[in-house]
Amino acid sequence: MAQSSNHGTQVHAQRVALITGASRGLGYTIADFLARQHWTLILTARHEAPLLEAVKRLKTTGASISAVPGDVTQDRHRRDLVAAVGRIGRLDLLINNASELGASPFPALVDYPLDALRRVFEVNVVAPLALLRTCLPTLKASRGLVVNITSDAARGGYPGWGGYGSSKAALELVSKTLANELRDAGIGVVAVDPGDLRTQMHQDAFPGQDISDRPLPEVTLPFWAWLEGQDPLRVTGQRFEAQATVWEVPA
Amino acid sequence: MKRQELVFEQPTALFASTPAETERGARDAVRLLVTTPSGHQQATFAELPRFLAAGDLLVANESATLAASLEAHGPSGMYTLDLSTRYADGLWLAEPRWDPAHPGPMPIQVGEEARVGDATVRYVAPYPGIPRLWFITADRPLEPILKRTGVPIHYGYVQKVWPLDAYQSLFSRVPGSAEMPSAARPITPKIREALEAAGIRFTSVLLHSGVSSLEIETERVEEQAVYPEPFEVSSATADLVNRTREGGHRVVAIGTTVVRALESAWTLDGVRPRQGFTRLFVHPGNPVRSVDGLLTGFHDPVTSHLAMLAAFIGLPRVLEAYREAIASGYRWHEFGDSHLILRK
Repeated sequence: MAQSSNHGTQVHAQRVALITGASRGLGYTIADFLARQHWTLILTARHEAPLLEAVKRLKTTGASISAVPGDVTQDRHRRDLVAAVGRIGRLDLLINNASELGASPFPALVDYPLDALRRVFEVNVVAPLALLRTCLPTLKASRGLVVNITSDAARGGYPGWGGYGSSKAALELVSKTLANELRDAGIGVVAVDPGDLRTQMHQDAFPGQDISDRPLPEVTLPFWAWLEGQDPLRVTGQRFEAQATVWEVPA
Repeated sequence: MKRQELVFEQPTALFASTPAETERGARDAVRLLVTTPSGHQQATFAELPRFLAAGDLLVANESATLAASLEAHGPSGMYTLDLSTRYADGLWLAEPRWDPAHPGPMPIQVGEEARVGDATVRYVAPYPGIPRLWFITADRPLEPILKRTGVPIHYGYVQKVWPLDAYQSLFSRVPGSAEMPSAARPITPKIREALEAAGIRFTSVLLHSGVSSLEIETERVEEQAVYPEPFEVSSATADLVNRTREGGHRVVAIGTTVVRALESAWTLDGVRPRQGFTRLFVHPGNPVRSVDGLLTGFHDPVTSHLAMLAAFIGLPRVLEAYREAIASGYRWHEFGDSHLILRK
């Protein structure tokens, strides 16, 4: 993210982040952490009321925040988002956090409704790539970082998790490839597995089960603080686990 | 392991409040308790070379100590703000305290601001699971303010604030530690020469130590949240460590910070070069694999450092050593006596 602008006395010029799926859970927690550092935020989520409610709370931090409700799979919504970015003229951080779990309860892959599977891939793979594309000129000018939120399901092969898991595996390869393709443009791309969290999304994945042993999304704050201090081009192409013991910078 | 197991009676009369060089004329004028599989021996620090052998490797931490304790002015008046770890430009983990002797907790609110030198800092979020530590953001770099007005972090047991030099060791090279990696403090150039003359080699890692050894607050030690520290193990150091052990010699960490760094770089093939942030918590469920010996100080009851010693040689042996140290008047904390623990 923004490497130093240590000229003069201010630590930072304005820093700008766009976060999808920001009305609750992990997306909201990251938005809150950045808002309290007075980042300028552009936030999106599918449902308008919870997003506006979230933004109202976040604005009490004194940060400048725009809410752009909509579905990230829609061209028109992505154009609205990029217009919001354009009005600010800077993008240091794009977090593709909005995700689709797919059919519930989780069917085995052989039984997976194909329309539901297409929707999973639209939200989890195509939309993050499309959003990055529309933001490309601003990201490039800002030497920004793109964070794609992934999951251990991308590697697990867990029965029932094949739809969501394979889409996240695809997103991880998209991230790694983009990292190589965009390095010369000065843009970093990483995949981040936040680990199990006590969120609505996690509850939806385990309907009816008690998930109160999972930590709240705040447990990932030290990781986001650490990532903020990394040069995007030093970490680009990496996959991080926010709850891991070590966050490694490649030599 | 249960929290209660790490409790022991610690006479506060044994807290060292003054550097040895001030009190007794030399940094190495401290005592050395040596714990080996065959028992405990008492010695002076200058005798260190006779407990090591040619081919052994001493690994030091080259992190230098910052003057990380600042004066803050906030809604509750003047208080102490100890910086622990730098995360990003203007983003630090810090510990607000009423003053050096009184930890609080301070009644800090998210979003609260304070003046620190010519900077304004704002409290962003408490550290998850360690509410006395806070992420803070500053509107201008804090490093110049540390240089101008910071003092070394100190607690109630020290007589006064000693100059920053008292908190550096022979190996301090890269500034970044909030608290002194103090195990190397008594190693003078003369002792280093004596060790080298005896065929003992030196190498170093980097680990910027945060604020004080963490007191364990959870019933099960393993569940305590620990905060990460920046570290770096170079390929030269990884090679030396691996070759020393392949040759049948001992790798001896100078300080718990070195154990944390080397363990964080451990793989099944030995130590490999690695850098980043580590929040590895070395406790008995997480045994020490990368070192054969540890030169350290004496640690407080119920701390993460004590759990590391228990992971290294087993709790009964640690408590046995501490009973002997207390009975013989060994002294605790950064200006105190030394403890060499050898597993073989």
